[in-house]
Amino acid sequence: MQVPAATNQAWSDIITAKKTYALKFLAAKILLGRLIASVNLDPSPDNVQACAAQLQGLFAKNTAIPSAKEDLATIFG
Amino acid sequence: MKHQISTLEETQKLIAAERILLIAGDEAVLAKLPKGRWVGGSTPYFMTPGKGGMVSRDSLFVSDITDAVATASIKKYTADSLPQVYKDCPDNGFSYIIIPALSSAHMAFALNAPNYESFGFNPLIGWIAAVHLDDLDKVKPKVFNGETGEAIEDGAIVLHAALPPGKVAEIGIINPFQQGPGDTLTFEQDGFSAADVLVNGQKQNFAEYMMKVASERDDSNEALVEGQKRNLDEYMKEKNLVTKLQLPLVADYYGALVNISFFNRIDKDKGVQFYAPVFKGVKYKLAAPLPDYVGAFAKLLDAEKVQEENILFSCNCVLNYLYSNLENKKTASFVGPVAFGEIAYQLVNQTLTYLQIK
Repeated sequence: MQVPAATNQAWSDIITAKKTYALKFLAAKILLGRLIASVNLDPSPDNVQACAAQLQGLFAKNTAIPSAKEDLATIFG
Repeated sequence: MKHQISTLEETQKLIAAERILLIAGDEAVLAKLPKGRWVGGSTPYFMTPGKGGMVSRDSLFVSDITDAVATASIKKYTADSLPQVYKDCPDNGFSYIIIPALSSAHMAFALNAPNYESFGFNPLIGWIAAVHLDDLDKVKPKVFNGETGEAIEDGAIVLHAALPPGKVAEIGIINPFQQGPGDTLTFEQDGFSAADVLVNGQKQNFAEYMMKVASERDDSNEALVEGQKRNLDEYMKEKNLVTKLQLPLVADYYGALVNISFFNRIDKDKGVQFYAPVFKGVKYKLAAPLPDYVGAFAKLLDAEKVQEENILFSCNCVLNYLYSNLENKKTASFVGPVAFGEIAYQLVNQTLTYLQIK
């Protein structure tokens, strides 16, 4: 599937914990643990957008991995 | 993939046949291997297909991955060049890394890997090379570049592999530990040690806090250590390791539970040391007691539904090996080196990590 752009609101909603999902892709979970902690310490829009871009980039590079595919379907339907 | 305990002679034959090998074993045996398409790391502790957990200074644990990969290249990194490691992995591939314990490369990777460029863009799996616990202060762990014959005490050796078309690599972890119900612990800076801790937001001396926790716990037990039944408390004291602090700190990374194990004795003046760093802003709890590691592991294994033939590599932690009394016990089809730390994208502790090729 086409991975939505980093500006898609869904990425920011995950980073800021406005929305939570039961994800399966290990790299995404580890990265999210760090990114959410980062946003808690620095909730500025610039940092939220930078973290959202990192998360989007991770999924964009891993579309072949089954758990990442499942997570994209979970987030974007 | 074929995983087996091999003699020096058997392994020499595989190397001569130009097989691509991931090897673990005692440094002295690894040093006798000829040059070839292999990477190696030191440890005398293994989870084996036949006997389960075993200690051997003579045997090698060998994974032959020749038929699972399309290409493979071996590269040495220093602490300064490690930030390139995720970028160097070929598309549709994986990277396998071994780093000597307590080296500057170990420290650099542990503290900084999540911030390296392209973190997670491709799977990075591996382990922290170890030594026999009797040799902790005498021998340094080493990693080996089989292509050059070089033994490295500080740095990392990485095998970057591309997979055949239609195949993907995926990392998994099996961590039987859960966060306990107690205090939430946070730290004011990243590091392998901490003098202070915020306990539910209140700053305290961490060593004093942990001594109080340890005094309230009664988790001493007996374990089979190299064929002898030993009181684990006494054994750990002999090895100058932490007693009664067998349970790690556990962080919840968006549902992935990541352990931080306690290292060495707790000293009120020097603080508390860990096998992996704690990070500022991450919330930790002490793990809930785990009386039956093998039983808990078996339950998680059933849930994972991992097919044995897909496992390219797995490793477990020496602390799980000791605390959970894994000698002569099997952890299903998960075999491989027992390490001083495991790498599943980043450094983790007291966790079984594995890489599947699907």
